[in-house]
Amino acid sequence: MSDAVMPAAKKMLDFAIDGVPMQAVDGQTVIQAARANGVEIPHFCWHPQLSVPGNCRICMVEIEQDSGDPWFDIACNMPVTAGMRVLTKSEKIKTLNQDTMQFITLNHPVDCGVCNKSGECLLQDYHYELNGAASKSRDPKTHATKFFPLSDRIMLDNERCIMCTLCVRFTNEVSGSKALGAVNRGDHALIRPAEDADFNLDVYSDNVIDLCPVGALLSTELMTHARVWYLQATKSVCPGCERGCSIDVWHRKHEWKLNALDPRLNTTIDRITPHENPEVNGLWVCNKARDLAQLFERPRAEQSLQRGAPVDLSAAIAAAAKLMAAAKKPVAIVSSWGSNEELAAFHAAFGTTVPGFVKADHLPLPGEVIEDHLLIKPDKNPNRKAALALYPALPERVSDALPADTDVVLVWGEGFDSALVPSGAKVIRLDSYAHAANSTADVFIPISVQTERNGHYTNFKGVVTPFEACFPVKPSIVHAEALFTALAAGTPV
Amino acid sequence: MKFFMNFPVTETSHTLVEYRTRLGYQALEKALRMTPTDVTKEVAAAGLLGHGGAAFPAGRKWGVVKLGDGEPHYVCMNADEGEPGTFKDRWLMECVPHMALEGLIIGSYALEGRHAFIYIRGEFDLAHRRMAEAIEEAYAAGLLGENILGTGYSLDVVLYRGAGSYVCGEASAMLASLEGKKGWPRNRPPRLTVKGLYQKPTVVNNVETLANVPVILRLGATEFRKVGTPKSPGTQMISISGHIAKPGVYEVEYGYSWTKFIYEDCGGMQNGKALKCIIPGGVSTKLLSASEIEGVTLDHNSAVAAGSQVGSGGMIAIAEGTCMVRLAAVIQRFYHHESCGQCTPCRQGMGWMERILNRIVAGGGRPEDIDQLYKISEANDGTTICSLGDSAGYACSAILDHYREEFEYYITNGRSMYDGNLTVDDPFATSPFATSPFANALVGAAS
Ligand code: SF4
Ligand code: SF4
Ligand code: SF4
Ligand code: FES
Repeated sequence: MSDAVMPAAKKMLDFAIDGVPMQAVDGQTVIQAARANGVEIPHFCWHPQLSVPGNCRICMVEIEQDSGDPWFDIACNMPVTAGMRVLTKSEKIKTLNQDTMQFITLNHPVDCGVCNKSGECLLQDYHYELNGAASKSRDPKTHATKFFPLSDRIMLDNERCIMCTLCVRFTNEVSGSKALGAVNRGDHALIRPAEDADFNLDVYSDNVIDLCPVGALLSTELMTHARVWYLQATKSVCPGCERGCSIDVWHRKHEWKLNALDPRLNTTIDRITPHENPEVNGLWVCNKARDLAQLFERPRAEQSLQRGAPVDLSAAIAAAAKLMAAAKKPVAIVSSWGSNEELAAFHAAFGTTVPGFVKADHLPLPGEVIEDHLLIKPDKNPNRKAALALYPALPERVSDALPADTDVVLVWGEGFDSALVPSGAKVIRLDSYAHAANSTADVFIPISVQTERNGHYTNFKGVVTPFEACFPVKPSIVHAEALFTALAAGTPV
Repeated sequence: MKFFMNFPVTETSHTLVEYRTRLGYQALEKALRMTPTDVTKEVAAAGLLGHGGAAFPAGRKWGVVKLGDGEPHYVCMNADEGEPGTFKDRWLMECVPHMALEGLIIGSYALEGRHAFIYIRGEFDLAHRRMAEAIEEAYAAGLLGENILGTGYSLDVVLYRGAGSYVCGEASAMLASLEGKKGWPRNRPPRLTVKGLYQKPTVVNNVETLANVPVILRLGATEFRKVGTPKSPGTQMISISGHIAKPGVYEVEYGYSWTKFIYEDCGGMQNGKALKCIIPGGVSTKLLSASEIEGVTLDHNSAVAAGSQVGSGGMIAIAEGTCMVRLAAVIQRFYHHESCGQCTPCRQGMGWMERILNRIVAGGGRPEDIDQLYKISEANDGTTICSLGDSAGYACSAILDHYREEFEYYITNGRSMYDGNLTVDDPFATSPFATSPFANALVGAAS
C-alpha cells in the first residue's frame, strides 16, 4: 500500500495514571485515554459522542510536575501530553471531588425514594463513592418546578437537574431539533424548551432520558410505573425499520413476578433503551423503538381457527399440512418480519416446491418519519434483506405472483390483503395478532412474536444482530420456525 | 503625562473633527505604511499591558496569531465593562470614541483582519451612541470600509450591544454572545487566539488597551515606555467611587503614589472620615486596608506585591464605620446574580455564600459560617470555567481575612459592630433569588 492510501498511524504517547504507565493516542483527552486503558474517571457532563462543555467539574485530576506546583484541571478537556503524570486519587483530588459533590447535592432534593432514576442515578453512585459526607449546608434548599412537561413524553424535574447540558447538547448535536436550551443564571438556571421549537417533533427525544445522569428527565410512561430494580433487560432488535437498532427490552424479573396484582403485568414491556452497537445504531434509538410495547402488545391471536371456528392447534396444523400436501399450484407470501432462522426453516421446508414472494408486513404509518439523517430508514420491516435473499419481492401487480389457477396461498405475517387471493384458492394464514382476516382463512394458526423467541435479523447493511426471548410462549401458540417443518412434512409439531 | 484626558471635554470633543485636531488617525496613517508584523512588534516593544483586568501583554497576544494562514482573523473590542465600580471605559467611549476605534483599526490591520467587532455593554447608552457615531464618521472619512486611506486595506466594524450580563465581559462568553449563543464562558484549550469567534483566531482587547495603540504608534515604543514604570509602561485610567470626596475618572501614570492619588487627587474621604480600605480594581480584586496601600504605587507589580491587583481600574474607597459583613453580602449578591450557572462550583457556591451572608446579616449567623465561607471560596479557586467563581471567592475571603472580627461580632451578637441588625421575618428576603417563589414565578412567566 502506498502512503497515500494508508491512513497515517496516530502517534502514541506514553503517560501514567496513578503511577501506572499507559499509552494514549495523540489528541486524546485524559478522560478518553483513561477509558481506553480501563480507568474510569468520574464524569457527569462528558459524553463520548457529544461536545465537551466541562461544566460539572467532577472529573478534576492532578498533574504532577517535575518543577513547580502540581496543577489541576478537568480530565475531559485536557489533551494528554507525552510523559504526563495524572493523579486521580490524590488528597487534593479527593477534596475537590467531595466539594463538587457537596455543591451538586446542595440544592438537589432528596427525592431518591420516589425518583424513577433511583437505582441508575450517577449522582447517588458518586455521592457514595466520592463524598458520603452529610450536607454542610444548614440553609433550606432552593426550589424550582417539580413537574415541567418538556414534551408529551418527557417530564422535567428542575430541582433534580444538575445543569450538565447533556440534553441540550443532544438536541443540538445529534437529533438536530435544537429544541432545548437553558434560561436564567446561577442556581436559578433552568432547562427549557427553545421558544421556536417543539420537543414533541424530535423523534429522538427519549434519548435524553437515558442521557440525563440524574432523575431530572423522566419518561411520562415509565414514571411511577416500575422501579428499575424490579426489571431486567433482554437484548433485542427494534423491528421498527430496516436499520434494526440494538435495544434492551426491560421487563419484570422472574423473582419479582406479581401474584396478586394483574398477572398480565408480568409480561409487559416496561421500557426500551438503546443497546450500544457501533455498527448499527451507535448509542441511540428513535422514539419508535421506545414505543415498541404498543406494537407488541396489540391484541394477540391465540386461538387456531378453521374457517373462523376454534380448533386445536394440532388439528389446525394437520389441516394446513393436508392443504399444502394436496396443493397443485401453491404460493407462499413470505414475511419480512421473520427471523433469519425462520426464513431458513421456511426455505428448507418449501424452498423448491412452493414459489414464495416477500411482502412488507408494515408500511409507514400516517405522520411517521419515513427517513432521516440519523437512523430511521424508509423500509419499516426489520428483515426484508434476508427474506429477499431467498425469495423475490411480491410484485406490485399481485396477480403476477398469484395466477388464477393458484389453489393454496400460505400467508405468513401481517400486511397482506386476502381479497387479493384468486377465488377458489384456499388460504392458510400464520399471524401473531388479531386481524379480521384470521377468521376468513381456511386455516389460521397463531405464531409467536419476537419477544417470545430467539433469532437474528439482517439489517439493510447486512449486519446480523441477535434478539432473545423475554416472555414465555403460550401452549396454544407455535413458533413459526418449528411450524414450517411440520407443515411441509405433514407431521405434528 | 496624560494620553486620554489631555483635552477639555466639551459637547463636541468626541467628534472626528476635534479628534483630528488632537492628531487623531495619524497613528493609523503611520501604521498602514508599516507591515502588519512591524505594527505588532511596536506594540510589543512598548510593553502595553491589557487594561481589562488580567494585564496580559497585548503585543504578545497579537503575536501568537499566525498571519497569512488563509484563515480570517478577528479583533474584538471588549466594551462590556461590567465590574462593579468600573466605569473608565465608558468615559473613554463617551469622550474619545475615535481613539479606541483607531486602535481597533490598527489592531485589525496588524492581525490582517477583514472584520472587527465591538461588543458594548447594553446599558451604556451614551457610549453606544458615541461609538456608533464615531464608526459612521470613520466610514464617511474613508477610515473604515473598502480601501482605507487608499492603502488597499479594508475593514468593516460591527457594533454589537450586549443584553446586560456581567459574564459576557469574559472573552469567551463575549464571543459566544456575539455568535448569537448563550453567553456562557468556555474552557481553554483551545485558546481564543487559536479558535475564537466562529472558531477562527480571535484577539479580544479591552477598550483602554486599544485606545493606547494609537498613542504607541504615534509616539513610538521608546517614548511610550518613558511614561509609567519599566514593567507597567503607560498610564492607567481609574474610576473611583465609594466614600471618596471627588469620585470620577482619573488618568494616572503607572507608578503613581496610591496615597497621593487618594488623599490629594481625589480629595480624601467624604466628610473627613478615615479610609478603612480600598477595593483596588473592581470587586473581583482583593481589598487592601488603609495601611496596606501606604508606600504602594499604582502599577501592576506594586499592587501584586501588596497582595492585590490593579484589575479593571475600578477603585472603591470605603470609609471607617462601614459594615464589612453587609458589604460582603452586597458583593456576593452581585456574584450570585451574575454567575452564568454553567459550572457547578460557581453555580451552587455563589448562592450558598449569599445565603450564608444574608443569614448573618439578618442576625442568624452561626460560628461555623466563617469557615464555610472560606471553604466555598477555596472550592471555587481554580476549579471553575471562567474566573467569576474564583474572583467571588477572593473578594469574600479578602474581606474575611481583614475583618474577621466584624463577622464574629455580628454572629455572636446578631447585629453589626456599627449599628443594629436587619432582622426580618424571612431571613432570605434580602435576596430576590434565594427563594422558590422567585424561581417559580419565573417559570410561571416562561411557561
Ligand atoms: S435535565 Fe438532566 S441532562 Fe438535562 S441538564 Fe439537567 S441533569 Fe443534565
Ligand atoms: S431507527 Fe428504526 S430500528 Fe432504530 S429505533 Fe428507530 S425504528 Fe427502530
Ligand atoms: S465560573 Fe461561574 S460564571 Fe464562570 S462559567 Fe462557571 S458558572 Fe459561569
Ligand atoms: S466530566 Fe469533565 S467537567 Fe464534567
